[in-house]
Amino acid sequence: MTALARPLARRPAAGAIEGQEAVLIGVIALLWAALGLSVDTFFTASNLQNILATVAPVTIIGVGMTAVIVTAGIDVSVGSAMAVVMVIVARQLRDGGLAFAPAVGLALLIGALLGLVNGALVAYLRVHPIIITFGTLNLYRFVALEIFDGREVAGVPGTLGPLGGGAEGRTLGLPHSWVLAVALAALMWAYMRHVPTGRHLYAIGGDAEAARLAGVRVTRRLLGVYALTGLLAGLAACCVIGGGGLVAQSAGTGMELQVIAAVVIGGTSIQGGRGTVLGTVLGALLVGTVTSAVTLLGWPNELTSLFIGVFILVAVGSDLLRERRRRSL
Amino acid sequence: MRLIRTVTVGVALALTAAAGLAGCSKKDGASGGSGDGEVTVAFVPKLQGIPYFEAMNTGGRKAAADLGVEWIYKGPATADPGAQTEVVKSLIQQRVDVLVVAPNDPDSMAPILKDAQSRGIKVMTSDTDAPNSVRELFVNQATAEGIGHAVTDALMEKMGGKGKYAIVSCGQTAGNLNSWIAVQRKYTAEKYPDAEIVDVVYAGEDEAKATSMAKDLMNAHPDLTGLVGECTTSAPGVAKAVRETGKIGKVFTVGVGTPASMKQYLEDGSSSAAILWDVEQLGYLTVWAGVQLKKGARLQAANKVNDKLTAVKYFPDQKMLLLGDPLRITKDNAGDYDY
Repeated sequence: MTALARPLARRPAAGAIEGQEAVLIGVIALLWAALGLSVDTFFTASNLQNILATVAPVTIIGVGMTAVIVTAGIDVSVGSAMAVVMVIVARQLRDGGLAFAPAVGLALLIGALLGLVNGALVAYLRVHPIIITFGTLNLYRFVALEIFDGREVAGVPGTLGPLGGGAEGRTLGLPHSWVLAVALAALMWAYMRHVPTGRHLYAIGGDAEAARLAGVRVTRRLLGVYALTGLLAGLAACCVIGGGGLVAQSAGTGMELQVIAAVVIGGTSIQGGRGTVLGTVLGALLVGTVTSAVTLLGWPNELTSLFIGVFILVAVGSDLLRERRRRSL
Repeated sequence: MRLIRTVTVGVALALTAAAGLAGCSKKDGASGGSGDGEVTVAFVPKLQGIPYFEAMNTGGRKAAADLGVEWIYKGPATADPGAQTEVVKSLIQQRVDVLVVAPNDPDSMAPILKDAQSRGIKVMTSDTDAPNSVRELFVNQATAEGIGHAVTDALMEKMGGKGKYAIVSCGQTAGNLNSWIAVQRKYTAEKYPDAEIVDVVYAGEDEAKATSMAKDLMNAHPDLTGLVGECTTSAPGVAKAVRETGKIGKVFTVGVGTPASMKQYLEDGSSSAAILWDVEQLGYLTVWAGVQLKKGARLQAANKVNDKLTAVKYFPDQKMLLLGDPLRITKDNAGDYDY
């Protein structure tokens, strides 16, 4: 895989799988093998189902977040957007007796609207997206808390159970949420790789002004990726509500960091212009496996932070090294 | 740039207006003042607007009506020590008669309580103590022993006094939770030698993460028969894990949870019991204690407060009133509480 073989350094490799992705597949395979040897119950259905169902919401949002970061943007408001969706949908499920399809529709609608607000602010104000979405992170959390109005939503029924982590959330042993995540990731992967407007996302991340001059509709693409990320945050919220129960004010807190970690570990460059959804799926799976593994092995919790921190630094470090090598050629 | 400035100013104005409106709507009964000779008891919770402190407010209001005093309930919008300090200072300016605080940061609250006392205000703590302050009384909802023993006993009844169990706690640095866990470890080792705590994990204040971690624990220990959810988000979280894995009746859970959030799990058996104290009565007791303090009445070793609180213990060496034994919430009485 030499850089010379490519016509454009910023384009992904010609093969279907990039360097970082191959490394990730290897790391995950090794990790799973090691866990299989050291934990008797690792390769049981209940354990793998739990890992996949836990990873699914992160992966779903990661599909949108990858596109956002490829455009050299970022969306740190997804956790707060989830909280807004969760409180509204949970209330409607409990008090309004909302059925499955309208509930999911409502979640997608609210999520997409919140994402569109981000997209509009990013596209028209031309302030760095981290500032914009840091602002909306706080604004959306405020909105969620106002809707909570001092009362957590307890006793949410299991209407969204088919997307949750229970038995009704699985077919042939596979969690629906995970299947959904993989399907969405496959669609996005094909879109970003083979459809011209998908390729434009890389061009925007490489140099937005040059892309604009080359005829790329930058504003429209930016509106699209932020709205999509919001919509997917709404879908992830449905998976987290799942079998019902309690939706508390802390809902969605820290989700943005989990998603961004998955994207970055997956090899997407935080400077934009490079990255794939496949990497994000693997990144989310790696983070989810490690989080579970620490508990399965009976190790102290705080080691999870250590491992994820190391993964991020290694991923970003190797990305920088590759970039440097590419430039020196 | 002009667009940005316009938008910024607009947003700022909108937020100010919203904050102003929110301030007005939450002000009910907070006008204060003691000109009419009525005793004023003010309580500052850690933050306003969460079910726990709203339930304390309900009890406090009831007590104020019964005892003929004025009750002020006013707290910060976030659990932020600085914001809470501002609320306390404004109440000192109002010259309330009794000031009760549940401090977010006991140490930084101490000098402010001293200032209040120097202006002739009676100073108390409730729910959370500020031990190194001039407070004249602390209304304690439960001791660490009380909670730790109640949780362990409730779980052991279901587990038959033996077997492996694990704890899903929340914040790793939460002092109260850690003190309960320490009691549970000690008490389990002493009273139930055939039982063993195999792991303690921390899920933060995240119900979904508590569910996922509880499943990890059941996968890691196939012979696990018990789980404890140590706080109000992990208590329903571990119950949900047992329900979703179809282990009702095989793995028993007990948690420190609110009746409303535990009701559905208590009903289907994924939770055996929730341990909490009667939060409304804690509010009631707080007002009663404030009135005694203002009157200069001597507290007895056991005090009759109302029909439910017939023998509230007073510990003079710690200047502490203890609400009583924790409440055990089961499927039979979960519907009696609306928080």
